[in-house]
Amino acid sequence: MQLTRPFRNMSLAQKDELTGYLFVAPQMIGFFLFVLGPILAIFLFSTQQRDLLSGVVKPIEFANFDYMLKQDRIFPKVLINSLTFTFWLVPLNITLALALGLMLTRKMRGMIFFRTLFFAPVITSTVAWAVVWRFLLQGDQGINQILASVGIDGPNWLREPDTAMFSVIITRVIKTVGLNMVIFMSAIQNLPREYEEAAEVDGASPWQILLRITLPQLAPTILVVMVITVIGSLQVFDHILLMTNGGPANATAVLIYYIWFQAFRVFDIGYASALAVVLFGIVLIATAIQWVLRGRFSYNEH
Amino acid sequence: MSHKKYALSVVFTLLFLALTLTANAQDTINLRYTLWIAADSPQLALFNEMGAEYTALNPNVTVTFEPIPFVDYQSDVTLQLAGNNPPDMGWIVEGAARSWVESGILADLGPALKGSDEYNFADFSESSLGLWTEGEAVYGIPFSTSPFIVLYNSDLFAAAGIPTPAELIAEDNWTWETFASSAKAIVDATDAYGVQSVDAALYTGNFWATLIPILRGFGGDAWTDDNVCAFNTPESVAALQYIHTMIFTDESMVPPGTEVDFYAGGAAMTLGQLSRVNRLADASFEWSIAPLPKGANGDQPVVGQAAMVVFNNGSNRETAIDFLAFLTKEENVARLAAFFPPARQSVLASDVIIESNPLIPADLMQTVVVDQIQNGRVLPSSAQFPRIELVTRPLLDELWVADADVQLIADSICDSITPLLNR
Repeated sequence: MQLTRPFRNMSLAQKDELTGYLFVAPQMIGFFLFVLGPILAIFLFSTQQRDLLSGVVKPIEFANFDYMLKQDRIFPKVLINSLTFTFWLVPLNITLALALGLMLTRKMRGMIFFRTLFFAPVITSTVAWAVVWRFLLQGDQGINQILASVGIDGPNWLREPDTAMFSVIITRVIKTVGLNMVIFMSAIQNLPREYEEAAEVDGASPWQILLRITLPQLAPTILVVMVITVIGSLQVFDHILLMTNGGPANATAVLIYYIWFQAFRVFDIGYASALAVVLFGIVLIATAIQWVLRGRFSYNEH
Repeated sequence: MSHKKYALSVVFTLLFLALTLTANAQDTINLRYTLWIAADSPQLALFNEMGAEYTALNPNVTVTFEPIPFVDYQSDVTLQLAGNNPPDMGWIVEGAARSWVESGILADLGPALKGSDEYNFADFSESSLGLWTEGEAVYGIPFSTSPFIVLYNSDLFAAAGIPTPAELIAEDNWTWETFASSAKAIVDATDAYGVQSVDAALYTGNFWATLIPILRGFGGDAWTDDNVCAFNTPESVAALQYIHTMIFTDESMVPPGTEVDFYAGGAAMTLGQLSRVNRLADASFEWSIAPLPKGANGDQPVVGQAAMVVFNNGSNRETAIDFLAFLTKEENVARLAAFFPPARQSVLASDVIIESNPLIPADLMQTVVVDQIQNGRVLPSSAQFPRIELVTRPLLDELWVADADVQLIADSICDSITPLLNR
């Protein structure tokens, strides 16, 4: 096919450039329409009184944020809950995933079985997972029945504020640790063996090899996994909705749960958007911190 | 036939077809009707049947019934409204009534329905319309006015060797006291619990359905009709204390954090509505139903309600109103009565309703369902309902521990919801 005039006059480099843009166009159009657009809209909505039901929209500048910080008694609670959830979930998840990754990359019999075992929760539906755990974590049934048989009087896991938070964190860790484990496994399998072998020859203990040789090489992977896990932990919603519905006494109501409630139960889209802006800020800051750390710790990345 | 003539006739035929098709397309109206009902339910089959009958009468109108799960219903419909793609008509549950009526998104059905002699609008009692009217305007027609009832497992009563609710009613001794003492006797004598909350949802889901019948049974309420908080009146506190005692002292009511199912035989009694009876069709135990126990001021029947509405900005408003009138005319209300206890006096007075449910004998249908509808008070509603729920739930959670201070919690609930009720 003969190229039409404007294209014929282009230099080779320009044509390359155009081709490149055309290739990324579908992705970019999608990004602008369905990611950037809504994000910008959230910022606009957060300065409005916006009732989804009646359709009334009124600009109110920063009144939503004012209410959030000064009057809303639930907001500080859900903010602390979100941070608590992330604070415990991320280190637990990453340490466990790393330990499993290191163990399950050894060449030993039965590894396939264990890999499958730890990965299975990842592909289990959240609904089934949450419902089964609700049965296991009953006041006097399930796990507590087992505990009772060895003389331990277990708590009413999902109905006492402290243990409820603990329960949703642990069950979430078990649910998602398999995914991080697989990422670590593939990173570990790709590490060059020479350094470890050299260290072994030099008489380093296995513990020294792990701390001085293996972990530093894994640093870039650990940081990426951490970013994903932090963001994921701030977005946990269905798991909590199904296990505790935010209770007892809002002990497990996290920020995203509260955003959902304001938007789709109260229909106050303006206030929900203001809350979403806060969540956006938290995720942005958390990611930026980790990005800075990434530059500092992953010495072999460049 | 020459080629020319043949070609001409083809052209005319096509032209004719095209004209008739466009003419039809212009007049064709498709009504979209949202409801919360299982897609494979006999209820939906009946609605589809009525839709087809309406199409037979009005060939240019078709109806699409669009089932949405109850938990998502309000948010889904709201999003459709916000996205300028509103359904033409649908259902609304009592709790949401005031916020939807006051938001101005519902069409006034009054002029169309009141003006028609055939429709007989006066057949709906004033009490049944309370939530759905504002002055002369009518924003919804209740199609389901379902009293709260006690469902019970007769086998467990027999196992404990105590009289069933039916026998207690016969002795005129079916009160909230005997309700609690029966529950206690059962938990002491069997492996089952005495009472389960409505749909086992007291601690994590819709707690109103369990609280309101008991609050009102004791002469209390959540809030009054003129929006005064009533959680902390002596009557309400006594009711909350009563529930607390059953859970933590008698240990006869399923406690928080325990998964037990009445419908699987795990508890002897539960509160519920007529629609729950279908879940007992294949039950492995003998069961029956009773009205709510007699309260401090005699019978205090409580009904849940849902209404049909037409949305204001749907493009086929007049047709939708006409179809709503069709669905809620006497003859069709009688057909719907098999599933949805009606609000039409004429249907309630007829034999249709008491023979409508094959799982329930006619005499029980009369005393437990029909008699209760007449005097039943609808569950509370408020334009601020979701916000009220948001602040009430965590406070109630503090009630569901063994050493809770009931009065203190009731007071703090009122402190929190009074500003919302006055908004």
